[in-house]
Amino acid sequence: MSSETTSSEAMSSETCEIEACESKFCQLKAKERIGTINPIFTCQPAGAQFVSIGIKDCIGIVHGGQGCVMFVRLLISQHLKESFELASSSVHEDGAVFGATGRVEQGIDVLLERYPHVRVIPIITTCSTEIIGDDCDGVVNKLEEELLPVKYGDRDVHLLVIKTPSFVGSMVSGYDIAVRDFVKKFARKTEPNGKLNLITGWVNPGDVKELKHLLAEMDIDATVLFEIEDFDSPVMPDGSAVSHGNTTIEDLQDTANALGTIALNRYEGGKAAQFLQKKFKLPTIIGPTPIGIRNTDTFLRNLKEMTGKPIPPSLVKERGIAIDALADLTHMFLADKKVAIYGNPDLVIGLAEFCLDLEMKPVLLLLGDDNSSYGDDPRIKAIQDGVDYPMEIVTNADFWELERRIKDGEIELDLILGHSKGRFVSIDYSIPMVRVGFPTYDRAGMYRHPVVGYGGATWLAEQMANALFTDMEYKKNKEWLLNVW
Amino acid sequence: MPYHEFDCSTCIPERKKHAVVKGPGEDLTSCLPLGYLNTIPGSISERGCAYCGAKHVIGTPMKDVIHISHGPVGCTYDTWQTKRYISDNNNFQLKYTFATDVKEKHVVFGAEGMLKQNILEAFKAFPDIKRMTIYQTCATALIGDDIDAVAAEVKEELPDVDIFVCNSPGFAGPSQSGGHHKINIAWVNNKVGTFEPEITSDFVINYVGEYNIQGDQEVMLDFFKRMGIQVLSTFTGNGTYDGLRSMHRAHLNVLECARSAEYICDELRVRYGIPRMDIDGFGFEPLSISLRKVGRFFGIEDRAIKIIEEETAKWRPQLDWYKERLRGKKVCLWPGGSKLWHWAHVIQEEMGVEVVSVYTKFGHQGDMEKGVSRCGEGALAIDDPNELEGLEALAKLKPDIIFTGKRPGEVAKKVRVPYLNAHAYHNGPWKGYEGWVRFARDIYNGIYSPIHQLSALDISKDEIPTGRGFLTARMLSDSSLSDDIRNSQVLKPYDGKFDPIAGLRAKTYPDFERLARTASAAATAAE
Repeated sequence: MSSETTSSEAMSSETCEIEACESKFCQLKAKERIGTINPIFTCQPAGAQFVSIGIKDCIGIVHGGQGCVMFVRLLISQHLKESFELASSSVHEDGAVFGATGRVEQGIDVLLERYPHVRVIPIITTCSTEIIGDDCDGVVNKLEEELLPVKYGDRDVHLLVIKTPSFVGSMVSGYDIAVRDFVKKFARKTEPNGKLNLITGWVNPGDVKELKHLLAEMDIDATVLFEIEDFDSPVMPDGSAVSHGNTTIEDLQDTANALGTIALNRYEGGKAAQFLQKKFKLPTIIGPTPIGIRNTDTFLRNLKEMTGKPIPPSLVKERGIAIDALADLTHMFLADKKVAIYGNPDLVIGLAEFCLDLEMKPVLLLLGDDNSSYGDDPRIKAIQDGVDYPMEIVTNADFWELERRIKDGEIELDLILGHSKGRFVSIDYSIPMVRVGFPTYDRAGMYRHPVVGYGGATWLAEQMANALFTDMEYKKNKEWLLNVW
Repeated sequence: MPYHEFDCSTCIPERKKHAVVKGPGEDLTSCLPLGYLNTIPGSISERGCAYCGAKHVIGTPMKDVIHISHGPVGCTYDTWQTKRYISDNNNFQLKYTFATDVKEKHVVFGAEGMLKQNILEAFKAFPDIKRMTIYQTCATALIGDDIDAVAAEVKEELPDVDIFVCNSPGFAGPSQSGGHHKINIAWVNNKVGTFEPEITSDFVINYVGEYNIQGDQEVMLDFFKRMGIQVLSTFTGNGTYDGLRSMHRAHLNVLECARSAEYICDELRVRYGIPRMDIDGFGFEPLSISLRKVGRFFGIEDRAIKIIEEETAKWRPQLDWYKERLRGKKVCLWPGGSKLWHWAHVIQEEMGVEVVSVYTKFGHQGDMEKGVSRCGEGALAIDDPNELEGLEALAKLKPDIIFTGKRPGEVAKKVRVPYLNAHAYHNGPWKGYEGWVRFARDIYNGIYSPIHQLSALDISKDEIPTGRGFLTARMLSDSSLSDDIRNSQVLKPYDGKFDPIAGLRAKTYPDFERLARTASAAATAAE
């Protein structure tokens, strides 16, 4: 339904009004209030920081106040129960007044001296340093001419600037920009490598594991951006484990030599895929987010198309196991359940599509930023064309869009799907909720489980069913239904 | 000078004066790290910003208030739901956070108009809430929005609302401490003295520098109420906006966290002549001394003594149960600011643990003076520690447990050091007598976790013990104890509830008879 082969389609993220939609049942509209009551998204630098921890031997330096790093590190740590290294240029008052490029220069030097393994330092800008107009490109040029050859001549060090002013876009566009900028910085055409570029978007370690499993079953060699399986890292007897991503500079360089690119998420990695397509003429497929059976089928078809490799019987069986599990749940328990879904746009759309396949009724989709291209998304258009019951899709949304509708009785929900920041809506209105997306700090181990692939479809459906079952029991609402199931 | 130079920081020599080891016979004249200086960029410091110090630490615990941050959405989002300052009004301030959501067009053309619209929208969404705080952020400070003017305009239009503005952008100072200072001063300048409270007791205090982490404030208020003391305001945990406007009517400022809130106490002393009394709710002895001090100030020390006797009789056997089992365990006390000195000596004295290191993220030299003087010999004191220094210290000191923040706790986990959350607590509250036992219980559970013990085993090399299907904390902790202690009929482990706060909220208190002279003075004043 939503496979989308991009040719020259632009994905503008500039702000403009979303066109009023024609659908009889489903409206796409922007939040009417100007302010935000309980935000669904954070700002761009957070997305760029999440990308930078996915790269091996990379420590990002966030150019701004210290909170822009400290709290994002905490946020990531809340979600993954791990700590990741990110530095700050620690802009204080003098820097804000007189310019703070000196702080970046010093910061890079200190980082390189104290972390001898570091090979890449992205300079991630923020609102403050974008407003004061610090010339970070100038800093990079200067350091590449002076500090790096003079002091670190024996090391292979790369600097790049990722411009992520916090007052533009959201963490989603920050992620998208950062993936593109890393690829742009490193991709070099040499020899064809016969590999596929798989750009996952903002996912969990469990998703990467599932995707790599599908690739392995298809016997496909791929460069996965980003190799974040090890975000789920061990405690080792010798205390040696450190959490970090494992995508190398060489992996990034080699993206130019792939046989093609599949970016699973339109809004998180789509820009990088387009860059590779334009610059290196790589065949490119953007989407669909492989959530649910149908989208996973499409993903496998795309893999097959791009590599010529057949879909093996093992995946037919795996799919069958998933279908078997879903058949136990759909028309008996999930049918007609009204769902609200919020979070990253590709995730929300993928979940909504899957819920529809499960006979559920997504009634409210909340996308937390003002990206003007949502209205052009063929998946959203398809949902608008396809649903036959009242549904709303709200952009630039906050949690008040959800809570107010519940409070005022405009919608009645059976289930909420989304990340932990919305937990109080579920708690206060006694609506069961399945934690999905980023961050999910109030449930254990969510990052370990995939939402993509057949395995993800099964896990998601079972999580939803179990959430409903628990709710039936707490509320003594036909809890006996499960007796002979 | 006993400065400690970290191997990982030899290339940043200015760090050398930020760590000391307290040697034999040394005092603060020779053993005091530098503090509260600008952070070294790229050092991976743990510091936050002045916005979070103002909004997140001090402003937001105020419970009956719409807290709006004027800026892009991230400042609000990132700080939201990262604290455990609860309140007895269904945690309104934890659940709801507001951002003006400044976009590029506002940066270019100004954001004052949209700020006003934001304020009106927020009051409309929550018609029962009539109080608001607005926090400046880096972006809106740099574009120069006049937030005060907008707030004044709204107050003209909506006479039943009151608005407080705090101009503390993220870059305003070396750490969150800059924000603590700014909001203290802004509050006393703009809000204290603008509301007249009802005085219902002869003994009236402000409880200052207390943020109700997991219910700490409610535990302490229980003691004050049992003493017949009226707590006019709490700055700011579980505190009300109007209560804090009436701080000028208290007889005494009882100050808990002197790092974050001494500024307002000192200003209240200068401007209104209200004395400042520093107290400490952590630990049996410091708390008992504190309650007696407050009692003595009002001439009601007997009431304090009664409470102290009751509480101590009830909880001492439980605290001592843990003390016997924690004796000699090594602790890194790595909090944010004031807890390094609130806890340093008392956990050693009352729980038997040895504090091998203290650090502070945003403390000043004054905090280190108190902390270092309360540590034993050989303790390593670090100002504004960074990631590598923390790891180097853990490798060198090999502590049994570390008290620090959530994310640094994850770092400690990897090197197999269990952690307790020093800021938000594990299973608090940790203030009060029962709370202190809960803290001891949490330390015990961390140190003697059977799973933690298993983490040392390398199944590829080590002999794998096969004799047991399980171990309990008790088996691990009691093996080296004497029979007397192990079988003591007096000592016992903690037996309180998972949530001790719900019971406090339902509690009623005796009426103490007003002194005739103050009651008649009040009546005369009223006439």
